[in-house]
Amino acid sequence: MLTPTLARQLTRAAKCVGQLRIGGAAVAPVRLFSTPPPGQTPPTLPPPETRPAVRKVNSAVRQNLIEFGGYVAECLPKYVQKVQLACGDELEVLISPDGVVPVLSFLKDHHQCQFANLTDIAGMDVPTRPYRFEIIYNFLSLRFNSRIRVKTYTDEVTPIDSCNDIFKAANWYEREIWDMYGVFFANHPDLRRILTDYGFEGHPQRRDFPLSGYVEVRYDDEVKRVVVEPLELSQEFRKFDLTSPWEQFPNFREGGKPPSLTEEVKLPPPKPK
Amino acid sequence: MSVTSKIAGVVVKKTTGLTGLAVAKNPHHVLDVLYGKTLRALQKLPQDAAYRKYTEEIINKRYNLVKTEKDVFELEKKIGCGQIEEVIVQAENELTLARKMAEWKPWETLKDTPPPTQWKWPM
Repeated sequence: MLTPTLARQLTRAAKCVGQLRIGGAAVAPVRLFSTPPPGQTPPTLPPPETRPAVRKVNSAVRQNLIEFGGYVAECLPKYVQKVQLACGDELEVLISPDGVVPVLSFLKDHHQCQFANLTDIAGMDVPTRPYRFEIIYNFLSLRFNSRIRVKTYTDEVTPIDSCNDIFKAANWYEREIWDMYGVFFANHPDLRRILTDYGFEGHPQRRDFPLSGYVEVRYDDEVKRVVVEPLELSQEFRKFDLTSPWEQFPNFREGGKPPSLTEEVKLPPPKPK
Repeated sequence: MSVTSKIAGVVVKKTTGLTGLAVAKNPHHVLDVLYGKTLRALQKLPQDAAYRKYTEEIINKRYNLVKTEKDVFELEKKIGCGQIEEVIVQAENELTLARKMAEWKPWETLKDTPPPTQWKWPM
C-alpha cells in the first residue's frame, strides 16, 4: 500500500533518473546505457577509484595549510629553512636549531597562530647525517582547530634551547629526549633521566645502542638482593631469518628509488639585503 | 557558554565558563591600553618586516572595532575570536611577542643553511 508521501517521493525519484545534479547545478542529462548513439562521443566519466582505503585529503584545508606555511616562513625568514606537507595535509616547518625559542613563541603568541598546546616532542636518530638527531615538536591550536609540526636538528654535543619557558608541558618531554637520545637542552630547569632505571647508563633510543643493553639484573640468593652485572649472554644470538615471504614495504624494495613521503611548499626567494 | 544575569536592566556577565579566566571589569580600557602598547612596540621594528606588517593590520582592525563598538557582546561578535577575556589574553601574548621580536630580529636572512641531506627522508 502506498502512502501519499511515499508515492510523491517515488514520482520525484523517477523524474530525477534522467537528470544528474552535481553540486547543486543541473547538468545535461546523462544517458544511462553504454553504447552511445552514432555521431555522439561517450560522456567522460571520472577516473575509477583505485585507492579506496586511503584517507582523502580535503583540498581546501590543504590550501589553507600551504598558505599558512608560507605566512610563517615570511614572518620568520631568519629561522625557517623549509616548509613541507607530509601525508598530504600535515604541515611541517623545518627550522634551524637556533630558532627554537623564537619560532615556538611566534606559533604560540601570534594572533594568527595560537598554537597554545604542545602535544608532544619526539626525537629521531639518523646516524649517517652530520647532525644525527632530529627534534620534532607537535602543536595543536584549539582556536583554529589545526595542527602543526616543527622540526629541528642537533648532534651529540650541541645543546638545543629548551622551550620550557614557553610551554610548561615541555619539561618532561625534554627529559624523555635527554634520557632516550642524550640530546642536551640548555636552560632546562631539571634535566634528569625520566624513563630508565636508577643508575642506568647510555641512551637506549640511539641506533648504536645494542638491543640487549649493557647490563643484566638478577636476584642473587647469596647476597639477598638484586645485583646488576655486565651482560653475559649464555647463548649467542642465533641467526633467524625474519624475512617474510610477502612484500611488506613494496615502495622500499631494493633497487627502486623510494618515493618521497613529503611535499615541499615553495617559498618565495629571500629578499637581497 | 557564559552565564549572564540582569541587574537593573543591565546584562551582567557572571563567568566566562573557562577555568582561571575571570570576567574582565573594563575590557575596552584594557584592550585600548594593550593595543596602544603593541603598536608602539611594533613601530620599533623595521618598516618592511612581514611580522610588523601583518600584526599591525590585525591590531589596527581590532583597535578600530574596540573604539567604535561600545557594547561588549557586539564587540565579541565583531572580532569573532572568542570571548572578550580571551581577546585580552591574545592581545597580551602579542604584546610580549612584539617586544621579544625586536631582540630576535627574525626578518633577517636565513641564519644557517642545513647540510644537504639533513631533511632528506627516507635516506
